[in-house]
Amino acid sequence: MTEISNSRPVRPRPKLRTFLVAAFLIVFTVFSARKVGFSFSTFWEMWSNPLWEKFWPVPWEWIFDRHNVVDPLLETFQIAIISTLIGCSLALPISFAISSLTTPNRPTYFVTKAVMNIVRAIPDLFWAKLLVTAIGIGAFAGSWALSIFSLAVMVKLFSETIDGADPRPLEAARAAGGRHAPSVSTGVFPTVFPAYVAYALYVFELNIRASIVLGLVGAGGIGRVVEAQRQYFRFDRVLGVLLIIFVIVLVIEQVSVALRKRLI
Amino acid sequence: MLATIPSKPQNKRLRWLLAAILLAGAVWSIMGLEVTLARLLNAPSDAWNILHRMIPPAFGEVHQRGVVEKVFESVYIAWIGTVIGAVVSLPLAFLAAMNVSPRWIRVPIRQIFNVVRAVPELIMAVIFIPITGLGPWAGGLAIGIHSVGTLGKWAYEAIEDSDDGPVEAVESCGGAWISEMRWGVLPQVMPTITSYWLFRFEINVRASAVLGMIGAGGVGSELVSQLQFRNFPEVGAVLIITIAMVLTVDTLSGMVRRRIISGSEPTKDRNQEAVIDLTGIRTR
Repeated sequence: MTEISNSRPVRPRPKLRTFLVAAFLIVFTVFSARKVGFSFSTFWEMWSNPLWEKFWPVPWEWIFDRHNVVDPLLETFQIAIISTLIGCSLALPISFAISSLTTPNRPTYFVTKAVMNIVRAIPDLFWAKLLVTAIGIGAFAGSWALSIFSLAVMVKLFSETIDGADPRPLEAARAAGGRHAPSVSTGVFPTVFPAYVAYALYVFELNIRASIVLGLVGAGGIGRVVEAQRQYFRFDRVLGVLLIIFVIVLVIEQVSVALRKRLI
Repeated sequence: MLATIPSKPQNKRLRWLLAAILLAGAVWSIMGLEVTLARLLNAPSDAWNILHRMIPPAFGEVHQRGVVEKVFESVYIAWIGTVIGAVVSLPLAFLAAMNVSPRWIRVPIRQIFNVVRAVPELIMAVIFIPITGLGPWAGGLAIGIHSVGTLGKWAYEAIEDSDDGPVEAVESCGGAWISEMRWGVLPQVMPTITSYWLFRFEINVRASAVLGMIGAGGVGSELVSQLQFRNFPEVGAVLIITIAMVLTVDTLSGMVRRRIISGSEPTKDRNQEAVIDLTGIRTR
């Protein structure tokens, strides 16, 4: 019989490695804070900065003038819609090509996957700036940039869903003698299609957010109003536009979440 | 026995309606974008032309201009932003979770998360730059505040998914609310929340690279100035260095996240889990 002890169990001592990791994280944080110029006094300096007064009052009659805000805002939606449509339709075949379940052959899998990873590693606004330089300022370059970026994001999300799809219908189709493309389109596609639509909505939401800021680098949409007024130091107008943007993002997100919940 | 193939159930009218809506949206968008056939046909060759001129990338020149420092500055900005987001959002998330917090405090805090999340980092940086001046601190602050919104939302959802058992155990021993949270909830949710922090760090690295383009510190400013002078070999080098940074951070952080999560509960299909966690989309 073992003796029953009444004392509290001994708490396991933390490992040396835990200490080292914690120390590294703290040192790294302090170091980055210094590099970034963080100090608690900056909060007070920011709070008491007289420039805040230039943000107020918001000139609402200027904001609601059609040419100033409404037209660029419509342009933002147009960029988001067209690049979602292009990105998502191109993503459909590519996703099937780079899913381990449905890939036609290994070389296609590796090459396409590598290209997509590199495309995704370049942030969306870098794409916008590059394409603005290449094909000219405006919404056209912005749509190109977002199409490319949303293609990469969509391929990532959707191909991983296909990876996790039920392989049995595909096996059945292959066992019945189906060639590759028909087997995939009848065996896998129906099971993952709802996810595809849900991701498309998610990508649309991302694109709305991205197309709002595209204008900051000259690629069209509402961002160009923000950029222009910022350069004139009209921060009151900037704030007004920002409030409009804020309401739109909030509404789009709520609608998109509600739709996605209904889909799945 | 029926030898015929069962007919497909389908709602034709709805399908046509959806197709019509998509088509109308596409047409309306294309009309607004001033797309001419000439532009459309020239765009790929213009893009290719620029890509072609980036080769070979001029690593030497950008190195002399201190691009390495700029790249690390992006990482520092992202890290500080993530730390600010994590430190502020964690206590707020406990106050926002449905199972551990009363309604009158939960609802306003959730609204704060929603409001903060709805303002893109770049837009926030546009507000902060006149106040803080150009530089990395504007970027760090913008990323930090935006991260509070997303991290707070993910964290309170993790807390709501936690098991009540440990909380009841602490309660029955006479523990106060704060002890229930510390010993009942926190140990359960910490692995998940830490992996969210790391994931947010990965996103923030991209965001901070972009913030440089409007003068908020980091590698973006280098890209903009090289593009302005049309030094395409230098642009190529900056791009490759940015890609290398983003992929390195993604890989390292992904490795740590995988260890953290598989320590608590091994799942075979981790990619899928991550997608579900992040987008709220369940596919099966």
